[in-house]
Amino acid sequence: MGIIDAIRTGLSELWSHKLRSALTMLGVIFGVAAVIAMVSIGEGAKQETLEQIKRMGIDVVHVRRAVIAGELLEKAQERSPYGLTYGDAERLRSVMSFAKQVVPVREVFANVKIEEKPVSVKVVGTIPGYEEVTHSLVERGRFLRWIDISENRPVCVLGAAAKRELFGFDDPIGKMIKIERRKFRVVGQMQAKEIGAAKAFAALRDLNSDVYIPITISMTDFQIFTQQAVPATMQTLREMYQRMRSRQARDKTPISEVIIQVENESATVPAASIIRSVLNRAHRGIRDYEIIIPAELLRQSQETQRIFNIVMAAIASISLLVGGIGIMNIMLATVSQRTREIGIRRCVGATRWDIIRQFMLEALVITCIGGTIGIFAGIGGAHAIADYAKWRTVVSVQAVVISFSVAALVGVIFGLYPAVRAAMVDPIEALRYG
Amino acid sequence: MALIEVYNLKKTYQIGTVDVPALRGVTFSIDPGEFVAVMGPSGSGKSTLMNIIGCLDKPTSGKYILDGKDVSRLSDWARAEIRNSKLGFVFQSFNLLPRMTALANTLLPMLYGSRRRNRKAAREALEAVGLAHRLHHTPMQMSGGEQQRVAIARALVNNPPIILGDEPTGNLDTATGREIMAIFRKLNEDGKTIIIVTHELDIARYARRILRFRDGLLESDEPVVD
Repeated sequence: MGIIDAIRTGLSELWSHKLRSALTMLGVIFGVAAVIAMVSIGEGAKQETLEQIKRMGIDVVHVRRAVIAGELLEKAQERSPYGLTYGDAERLRSVMSFAKQVVPVREVFANVKIEEKPVSVKVVGTIPGYEEVTHSLVERGRFLRWIDISENRPVCVLGAAAKRELFGFDDPIGKMIKIERRKFRVVGQMQAKEIGAAKAFAALRDLNSDVYIPITISMTDFQIFTQQAVPATMQTLREMYQRMRSRQARDKTPISEVIIQVENESATVPAASIIRSVLNRAHRGIRDYEIIIPAELLRQSQETQRIFNIVMAAIASISLLVGGIGIMNIMLATVSQRTREIGIRRCVGATRWDIIRQFMLEALVITCIGGTIGIFAGIGGAHAIADYAKWRTVVSVQAVVISFSVAALVGVIFGLYPAVRAAMVDPIEALRYG
Repeated sequence: MALIEVYNLKKTYQIGTVDVPALRGVTFSIDPGEFVAVMGPSGSGKSTLMNIIGCLDKPTSGKYILDGKDVSRLSDWARAEIRNSKLGFVFQSFNLLPRMTALANTLLPMLYGSRRRNRKAAREALEAVGLAHRLHHTPMQMSGGEQQRVAIARALVNNPPIILGDEPTGNLDTATGREIMAIFRKLNEDGKTIIIVTHELDIARYARRILRFRDGLLESDEPVVD
């Protein structure tokens, strides 16, 4: 029997039992649709994370002040009492000549007021280049300049949310705000920065409510913001003024973070190991800082995502398996119902192989039709999820091809046993039957 | 040369641990163009003989030579090919595929084997049995006699030298049975070798030779005298 004849026989057999065929197919349809929808969700999530992290920049290494406690604290106070300092940033800058930018950041405790009204924003001391390493853009005015730093000019740049808090929809450029007792002139405003899911992956702050001031002023006038809050006592204030006096003192001023920007993503890991060795020596073995590599975090999150996707697809595949069992069940019923037909076909010259092929093709036709419908259902499902849950879904060709092939394979595997059973029917018995 | 030769043919069925002999050494031969009736009470071994001649079953021992070739030990594949090209089957219960038209049923043997599908041959076979007007009817829409004619057309379509009938008139009334037997006789006159199994002497008398079986042995082999 030719393939075409066998397929035609299969189709007419399915057509003559429409309800039964439809129900059998339903299992495959759901299976394929579930796999495609699941993989699309996973793929969408992956792309979303990737884009967000890329927006945040993956060509940087963050060195952040770490909170230490317990036994280590005593040793730390002796060997590296200041934690991460401005001196560390300078040291890194001189060692890492290949770095594009080395930017120190000092978050400080400071109340901000506009017309005597307190506002919840975060004051951050930094230097020019910060906007580049954080991949932020200036919306209006300008960012800090070197002259602001060297001359200790009381100017500030507002993050998008900070600007809204302080000025609503007004133009803030040239206006004054009060940080603690000092007045600062607003020279620029940043564009809003979407952070979304990337925040969790790269452990990044929301930069929108920042108010940027020259790092020099942040070091002399304000106290660093730490997890372990220290109230401003006379002693700490005195220390602060002492720091101002000498370069050596400035080197010992604690800062919150140093952001190092390198040539590209692949340079981040070697850069991190240089940073680690420089700081290890400077801090005499005390790990009172942490090194964060967004590119690494991204890689890890992609790995997690990949495993998650595989698990999701595997779970969805179970329904495909169940569909396959449904096919086997129906095919077995079909074989016993059509014993006589098998006998007749054998009698007029069908070999065992002809019979196997006929029943296998019937199972395959069910799964292929079901698989095709399932592909459309899956794509439709992915779109529905995207619309309803506002998740991004990406239907990949790979998912479509794989799920369809798996469905076809299921048809072959679960069609095989019933087909072999059919071929084993004794034609003499079959013709006597019924 | 004989078309069918069987030598000391034996067939024993095993039911549980008991051996049940169905054929206990049968020898005869049939020449091309013969019309043979096989008779005997039930349990005489005539059905077993027909299954072996029809290449649906293998003998336990002995030889079965069909058209000069020993077919008693052939593989499943080779026997399917013989059923397809050398033998045509007609059954008591017609054995048509119920959802297919007369034409599709007649075409069935052409789906297997090496032959190409030939609608013209199928149509001609149906015309030969007087069913030119029933090509697109399904078995459900036809009388018993018509169904048996479709079965004969199916047996003829690959133009085999031998037609086997297993009580072909058993489910038909007397008049229709005679019509069917007339067709068989016509086919025989056209050169087909025909072997039918029957209980009824009236039917057997259409043949030219009667083989009688009893208890797995050939009891008598005599020509029909008109």
